[in-house]
Amino acid sequence: MAAAGGKTYSFKVVLLGEGCVGKTSLVLRYCENKFNDKHITTLQASFLTKKLNITGKRVNLAIWDTAGQERFHALGPIYYRDSNGAILVYDVTDEDSFQKVKNWVKELRKMLGNEICLCIVGNKIDLEKERHVSVEEAEGYAESVGAKHYHTSAKLNKGIEELFLDLCKRMMESAQADERSRGNGASHTSTARRGVQIVDDEPQTATSAGGCCSSG
Amino acid sequence: MSQRSERRGIHVDQSELLCKKGCGYFGNTAWQGLCSKCWREEYQKARQRQIQEDWALAEKLQREEEAAYVSTHSSSQTQPPHSHSQPSLATFSKFEEKKTNEKTRKVTTVKKFFSPSSRTAPKKESHEGKTPSPSITRQSSIETDRVSRDFTEFLKTIQKQAGKEINKQSRAFLDSMGNKRDLGVEELSECAQDFYQNISDRLMNHYKGSSEKVDRVMDQVEKYIMTRLYKSVFCPETSDDEKKDLATQHRIRALHWVTIQMLCVPVDEEIPEVSDSVVKAITDIIEMDSKRVPRDKLACITSCSKHIFNAIRVTKNEPASADDFLPTLIFIVLKANPPRLQSNIQYITRFCIPSRLMTGEDGYYFTNLCCAVAFIEKLDAQSLNLSPEDFERYMSGQASPQRPDDPAAWPQTGSNINPVVSQIHQNQSILSNLEKRQQQVIEEANSLQTELAEWQDSVAREVQQILERYPLEIKPRASAIDAENVENDRLPPPLVPQVFAG
Repeated sequence: MAAAGGKTYSFKVVLLGEGCVGKTSLVLRYCENKFNDKHITTLQASFLTKKLNITGKRVNLAIWDTAGQERFHALGPIYYRDSNGAILVYDVTDEDSFQKVKNWVKELRKMLGNEICLCIVGNKIDLEKERHVSVEEAEGYAESVGAKHYHTSAKLNKGIEELFLDLCKRMMESAQADERSRGNGASHTSTARRGVQIVDDEPQTATSAGGCCSSG
Repeated sequence: MSQRSERRGIHVDQSELLCKKGCGYFGNTAWQGLCSKCWREEYQKARQRQIQEDWALAEKLQREEEAAYVSTHSSSQTQPPHSHSQPSLATFSKFEEKKTNEKTRKVTTVKKFFSPSSRTAPKKESHEGKTPSPSITRQSSIETDRVSRDFTEFLKTIQKQAGKEINKQSRAFLDSMGNKRDLGVEELSECAQDFYQNISDRLMNHYKGSSEKVDRVMDQVEKYIMTRLYKSVFCPETSDDEKKDLATQHRIRALHWVTIQMLCVPVDEEIPEVSDSVVKAITDIIEMDSKRVPRDKLACITSCSKHIFNAIRVTKNEPASADDFLPTLIFIVLKANPPRLQSNIQYITRFCIPSRLMTGEDGYYFTNLCCAVAFIEKLDAQSLNLSPEDFERYMSGQASPQRPDDPAAWPQTGSNINPVVSQIHQNQSILSNLEKRQQQVIEEANSLQTELAEWQDSVAREVQQILERYPLEIKPRASAIDAENVENDRLPPPLVPQVFAG
């Protein structure tokens, strides 16, 4: 879904995760390098962009924050439609938030297949003492679903650069592979063409189903 | 609290929005409050009537003129001139009447009456009667012309060859769209998207434009073609957009009782700057309907979102995250109840340049708006943390959350709400004080009146009593005429006539 011309890639990345796991802090740390700072210049932290240059290729990264409250869960499909990557954040001190991540992974894989690069992020590692999600469990799970796992701390600015850089590289690879596979005969009727539409019922049933089976 | 949320927003009565004919669809002020279908019917009828009236008037004029002609010639030059001017004056007043009639109807078929000879009038009328020019189409054509001019000007600023090609392609596309009127709107959208894709591919690959430049050109192309296509593809009759608009409108109206607390909106309207931003956000989202180009509509959504961010930032003193933004946007949409919301969303989805919706900032806000609408449609007791019973009661209008039944509770809540509302409360209490005092004045006036009446009575009584006690004795007077002549005796004796014998 990179922009045509091959010069600049435009990627859309959605941030998913329960409220209070630190999605906003994470992205503010990445784009503004600030944490709980009074001098944050941006008016909002829900849509942020970052321009990168990775091995000579320009990348425009658009980071879409999503509302994490449970009541908005059903709206997920509207957000993550046509995104190239998803960052699934949980709080290492909160077992529940990790369960939510599992639900999201199931849903994303079901709706978008393997087109989307998944990153599972355990945030707040500065609170190591209160950890409730074990490293082995989290990493094992990530591997089992074809996602990468990262440990970050927005407070200490740990692991965040690596997370985004890695994700960008993976998205570029899949975009290049996509271009190659499409070849020259491919028409422009890509999935990316159509805009956002209000999705009616099927995603909801999908999410509720995901919710039930997640414990297994 | 509840008073504030009740009073917030721009309230338009439902009757003002719906078609005046009562067909249940939305009316439009440009169509004198009718919906598109009723307006068309009305307009056709009015035009038929107009043409018939014109014919009748023209025939009458002709007869009158002929009669006048005959009369002047038969009775030779001795005929005084004013008798000739009589009928024409009358017809002139008819012109005037006609003119005002037509002005109100916004049909400009007046000119024809001022043709020098009424004999040619019938022909001219039948001709002009067939060219309707309601001012709406004229107005829009002015805008279209301006956009076309701008577009041509803009094309001159870019590479000559590319400009020419874009111009040619755009015109060809508009022509082809003109022939596809009867296609469904989804097919038309497909055509438009293909057109965008072709042009941008061509600019990228053939003319080697940088992506920023291509974006700029594409903006202009979109503006040009969508201004021209707007009327035929916005909320078209072939789709059920209008029905959806109506459903959403009703839904939002039914949810009027939803409060900031239920949605957990992180906005404190007590702060004047915040309530200002909220009002601006509401205005912007309503304004979206007035724009024609998808990009301009998106700009309204973006501007609305910026005001929301400002409100959150001022309240929470930190940048707004999506967790804050979405509930606030939902709240704004509920308060604003923007006109033709579904039509606008569908129109943008169908005819906007795709890349803008995919990755841009505008796209993000638009997506959030779609989410807000989806949430509103599906909203239930659980999503507001209410019990299903409460939700049902609120929806059916049997109860209203937080509205104090006791008006005495108002002053207490007055302290923690918006200054405007507290001002209102203050005024209200002043007014009620005033009313009390007025009541008192009236009472005192009444008692004064009764007192006065009593006093009058008592005086009358007293007078009566005194009169009874000391009855007035009227002594009979001497009835002789000269009885009053007290000094009668002092007068000389009356003259006695002397008798002269003689």
